[in-house]
Amino acid sequence: MERRVVITGLGFVSSLALDREGTWRAMLAGRHGIRDLSKLDLPGEPARRAAEVDLPEGAGAGPRATFCERMARLAATEAQAGSRGLEGLDPRRAGVFQGAGTSGMPIAEAYLEGRLRGGQPRATEAVYQTPAVVTEALARDLGALGPRSTVMNACSSSLLALGQAYERLAGGALDIALAGGAEGLCRTTYAGFASLKAMDPSPCRPFSRDRAGLNLGEASAQFILEPLAQALGRGATIYAEVLGYGASLDAHHPTAPHPEGDGAARAMEMALGMARLDPGEVDLVSAHGTATPANDGAETAAIRRALGAAAARVSVTSSKSQFGHTLGAAGAVGAAVAVLALRDQVVSPTLRLEDPDPACDLDCTPLQPRERRLRAALVNAFAFGGNNVCLALRRWEGA
Amino acid sequence: MKALDLAITGTGLVLPCGDGLEAARAAWTANTPAFADLPEALGPGRGAACTAFSPSGVIPPLQLRRLDRPSRFAWAAAHQAFLDAGLEPRAMGDRIALAVGTTTAGSEASEAFMRPYLLRGPEGASPMVFPNCVANAPSGHVALAFGIRGPSTTQLDRENACFSALDQARWWLEGGLADAVVVIGVDGLFPLLVELLRRARLAARRGLPRPHGATGFLPGEGAQAFVVEPMASARARGARVRARLSGLACACGPDDGPAARQEALARAVSESLEGRLPRAWIAGANGHPRLDLAEARLARDVPGLPLPCHPKALWGELCGSGGQLLAAALLEAPGPVLVSAPASFGPQAAALLEVLPSP
Repeated sequence: MERRVVITGLGFVSSLALDREGTWRAMLAGRHGIRDLSKLDLPGEPARRAAEVDLPEGAGAGPRATFCERMARLAATEAQAGSRGLEGLDPRRAGVFQGAGTSGMPIAEAYLEGRLRGGQPRATEAVYQTPAVVTEALARDLGALGPRSTVMNACSSSLLALGQAYERLAGGALDIALAGGAEGLCRTTYAGFASLKAMDPSPCRPFSRDRAGLNLGEASAQFILEPLAQALGRGATIYAEVLGYGASLDAHHPTAPHPEGDGAARAMEMALGMARLDPGEVDLVSAHGTATPANDGAETAAIRRALGAAAARVSVTSSKSQFGHTLGAAGAVGAAVAVLALRDQVVSPTLRLEDPDPACDLDCTPLQPRERRLRAALVNAFAFGGNNVCLALRRWEGA
Repeated sequence: MKALDLAITGTGLVLPCGDGLEAARAAWTANTPAFADLPEALGPGRGAACTAFSPSGVIPPLQLRRLDRPSRFAWAAAHQAFLDAGLEPRAMGDRIALAVGTTTAGSEASEAFMRPYLLRGPEGASPMVFPNCVANAPSGHVALAFGIRGPSTTQLDRENACFSALDQARWWLEGGLADAVVVIGVDGLFPLLVELLRRARLAARRGLPRPHGATGFLPGEGAQAFVVEPMASARARGARVRARLSGLACACGPDDGPAARQEALARAVSESLEGRLPRAWIAGANGHPRLDLAEARLARDVPGLPLPCHPKALWGELCGSGGQLLAAALLEAPGPVLVSAPASFGPQAAALLEVLPSP
């Protein structure tokens, strides 16, 4: 890799606020967006909590836009707010990389339900709905004629999308990229995680002794990435530097993580290697931290293995305690939280962590935000299929 | 970027015409379409289903019952490809990566999960089925089956998603993140898809799909796996190289209209060829105007192209989301083969494969 890559735009739509700074302020104020489920009609489901996003009418709207697309467009608009000076770029060297969310799934569900009730719902709308429509809408908005990628690696999708954007920018194939993810609620995912008994009927408690599973959430986080030299040349606001990423497969189980976090540790080690980052420089891990019994202990073991002795003084935080599990968008959400933490030198809290699990014996930033020196951060996202992705970021302190 | 110099050292094919390279070669040579009335379980409609597919002896029975159709296809194709390449993926650990392209993976399971749920509520929800509802389910099952521990992606970029997966493989190989990547294009038919294509009037209603004939297309299914390595590594380990991947490009237009897609595909082809003239042309037209129009002007815009061959007229659309086009290229006689892979929306793709003679 040859060129340094920086983040010069960040848009964040969440269950706490519809913008970056509002979301971040609410996180630091100890608020969360998990509430009684209102968007889905799910009779008989015992768990009825979710972190829902309320969009005002017309926000992010486009022709036949799904809720995912609307959130993504809103976040992308905020991310591009500082993109003045990019007008002269070759659009063929502008790419869009998205982690796929449920996207058009509610349309397919409605179609199927209509047919099961004996109706004749329209087929054309359902047949053209794939997660790629979000990527395409964002590319049209951006005027990007370069590569487009729609990644479906379940809950690590959007973090891999950020990694893809990074490697193409660093490798000189692109001059600008929009990368991120968006996730909305749908009945398939809600019922699916419920069927796996993975849902906590209360707001989730990452890293807690009595953690009982996850809550689902909606969000979108979008990033503008570009080469450092170009960003400096146009006087752009630089949020953080992207140093590299790692990706691995557990090859262990279709849904459960490796109990010792083997694949997760390898992804983190790969990210550290690509970033040429010493574990001692890592001050923050924006964790996957789903609050499922299987994940949090395995992730703790992975962090310990990847960082070695440096794990003892790293701050760990789980934004699932604020936003629930935003699935395809979760990696981008975790990255947004890490970028803002690096910028402001404050770690957002892991909420409801009152009784830490001895198996999760790192400093998981319980209950309160913490100001501290933050030089570099790792962001974790793990997924069904044994997919693990880790992104390495560094605080931007000037050229 | 560096000049592309990747080797395809192994291939595994699950196609509607049968499993394996020789079944594909026989159907390709005889130009025999695989379309028929679909099995009753898929509902009324015509298409190219993998009715002869038999994973016994490859997938253990206990695992077989946990897998959806795309995962079964992908497993069998990967098995063939590793044998063909003479690679033992388990021994490579995290130095082998997995890149999958698909349009439909996860959807069969989603339908199977939601039908009983919508009818009976939570008691109809199967925790066995739900994990296959994500499009990366084939990737997870293949990784588990073969001990693949390197990077992985599943790309959803419509009819040419396999090219997007191939592009990611290129980045991982050139960036040193892996020594080899198994690239898989995979799709499976399922009842809801068959119904949607029929009711949306996208599927050909009678006769066979004829590229550029405005007939509509017919759906297919299958998986195609390709072991891809840097040419120098392949030579160093004495691998038989089936083809050299010497050109690969994706391009997009400012909108999804026919003119923009034509221009984008022409650009992708031009970037793949870099002035070289192919001996054969594998084309992605399928009988539906959305794809056919994207390719309609290629022969005029890129002088010297040979007459196109159309795998989708034999094996159907989807069928591997472009993997079937790459498979057809490997069936051609030695020489440079252009593969153009249009999509109904989004990136248009092309590749140049130099098929090498068998030793």
